Amino acid sequence: MFTYILNRLGMMLVTLWAIVTLTFFLMHAVPGGPFVSERMLAPEIAAALNAKYGLNLPIWQQYLNYLGRILTFDLGPSFKYPGVSINSMIAAGLPVTLQTGLLAVICVVALGVPLGVIAALNRNRWPDTTVMFIATLGVAIPSYVIATVSIYVFALRLGWVPTFGLDDWRGYFLPVFALSGFWISFVSRLTRSSLLETLEQDYMVTARAKGLRKGQILFKHGLRNSLLPVVTVLGPVVANLITGSFVIEQIFALPGIGRQFVLSITNRDYTAIMGITIFYAAILMVMILIVDLLYVWLDPRIKLTKAAA
Amino acid sequence: MTDISPEMWAKVPAGEKAAPIPPPAPTYGQEVRRRLWANKPAVVSIVFIVLLVIAAFFGPYLSPHTYFKQDLKLANIPPFFETYAVTDGAGETTRFFLNASNFNLYEVDAEGNMLGLLRGGRKDMIKKSQPYEFGDQTLTLDYSKLPVRLLLEDGSEVRPSGWSWNRTYLFGTDQLGRDILVRQLYGAQISLTVAFVATLVNFFIGVFYGGIAGYMGGKVDAVMMRFVEIISTIPLTLYVVLLMVVFDSGLLSIIVAIGSVFWVDMARIVRGQILSLKSQDYVAAARTMGASPARILTRHLLPNSIGPIIVTLTMLIPSAIFIESFMSFIGLGVTPPLASWGSLTSEAVETLRAYPHQLFFPAAAISLTMFAFNFLGDGLRDALDPRVGR
Repeated sequence: MFTYILNRLGMMLVTLWAIVTLTFFLMHAVPGGPFVSERMLAPEIAAALNAKYGLNLPIWQQYLNYLGRILTFDLGPSFKYPGVSINSMIAAGLPVTLQTGLLAVICVVALGVPLGVIAALNRNRWPDTTVMFIATLGVAIPSYVIATVSIYVFALRLGWVPTFGLDDWRGYFLPVFALSGFWISFVSRLTRSSLLETLEQDYMVTARAKGLRKGQILFKHGLRNSLLPVVTVLGPVVANLITGSFVIEQIFALPGIGRQFVLSITNRDYTAIMGITIFYAAILMVMILIVDLLYVWLDPRIKLTKAAA
Repeated sequence: MTDISPEMWAKVPAGEKAAPIPPPAPTYGQEVRRRLWANKPAVVSIVFIVLLVIAAFFGPYLSPHTYFKQDLKLANIPPFFETYAVTDGAGETTRFFLNASNFNLYEVDAEGNMLGLLRGGRKDMIKKSQPYEFGDQTLTLDYSKLPVRLLLEDGSEVRPSGWSWNRTYLFGTDQLGRDILVRQLYGAQISLTVAFVATLVNFFIGVFYGGIAGYMGGKVDAVMMRFVEIISTIPLTLYVVLLMVVFDSGLLSIIVAIGSVFWVDMARIVRGQILSLKSQDYVAAARTMGASPARILTRHLLPNSIGPIIVTLTMLIPSAIFIESFMSFIGLGVTPPLASWGSLTSEAVETLRAYPHQLFFPAAAISLTMFAFNFLGDGLRDALDPRVGR
């Protein structure tokens, strides 16, 4: 277990380094410096600014400096808002993004799995067709369409929830719904097909033949085995919920990291784009690692040493 | 007439049957076609996609409008409206409709063709009303409280005479007075072009990469797949965003951005297929006959793994459409006045409260298209490989 985790952490560091390098050079490939779009600066001021941010150094030295700062978890200053560090930007946005993201993950698990189970147990009867119809809708409709249409219906027409912001607890409904809609559908489809497959296994017949109670068969033998693929997709789910949040945060005007990211893009705030990208990537990798460990814990058949090799 | 000897006409004794002629065994292609045609949603999807492509690429030429021509006097016109008719003393009838969201009156003819904006008299800012003159008749538009009312001189309210379709702008106009239908079709054209070209790019990179990794095997495979693994841990949406920032928004850069990032799945699938196929006897036979690896790959291995490749392709198209619209939605996609479904949606969101119809069309178009490609992908998967799925 220990070597496995070490191995994974090593891989993570390599990937993170690749991401840092890629983003760094991509952002430096953008034509023009960060101060070009501003009003004309006196050459002395431009030189002073460049010296302050270390932009007069050769690019490899800037790169090494950046790497060094990343190692101490310092993402540097924002180019657009003087005196604001990327770290403080992220610290301000993180709680909001985490709240909505976690609520969405909870919704995905708490709604997607039971819906899939209901569909599988009632195969080809009306609960199944209804759930699958809605799930097909949910998989095909983009999240920003769900968000905007639900704003129109639930906020503007019916007035049940506010159109934007999180000042009210009801403000969470629409963002979480729009964020998790696709994945609820996805997980319910996955649960259904996986459970259907499990139900046909020999050990299910054996369990029934032994005269076990229905609930016991379903939960102990059926669900536990059929949920493994669901756990596998949870890593990407978390990843997508966090990255998918930037449109949703934009639409609902939530002050999270995603909105900050979109703002940085429109402002062409290069250090902020770099910093937030790296932060996102790091979070996602940690999440995927956690999910993988969870997977191993749930399914003892998986040999860690083999997976690590 | 040929001569048929009388004994040929004799009855075959009961119990003795002529040997049935077996029909020729259907080929794989025929089987696939039969299974695909039996799948109703997939067939409907194919029809929908074909119609959409035709409409997107030829439709704009049939319309008198262009996607960039603005007409601020005719901005935010709905696709259908309630018409009013006023007859003056000289017996001349004016038909018009009231846009309740911007308090303007627009003249229309009996068929529903737009004739133009009606000019009213001076607005009374305190009473919130505006007079409109029709010959000797004067109507007052009272917008002091909602819903807006149209009053005759004697204070009685004018009732609408009925609903009418907008014949000039079938889907209405947007906030700059551009025809939504044409913009919608141009949007479809751009979204589809981006999706198809990006998918094609992904296809070539993925097949090339996966094919080489799978065929070479061993160390080459291990290194190449480790690289794929690293790429797939990177959130791809973020990378498309970064690339778009670097390239600056535009049609070509979005194609490059999507095309260069989403080939990973394709590479994995091709590699898996090739790994399992390359130990087949016909590959060994080809090799002993001196075929080059390139020939073996293109002539033997890839054609035999075409099924999963096609399924992955059809699944890539909707995700490319989605990513493109997503980028356009956050303002990184095509540059205005070009339209794509994403930018149309985000423009419509700005005027959502007053003109929800502007959101309806792009939202419906993208959702339907995603449906169609999803159903088609599912159908193809079931048809090509009946073992998986369901």
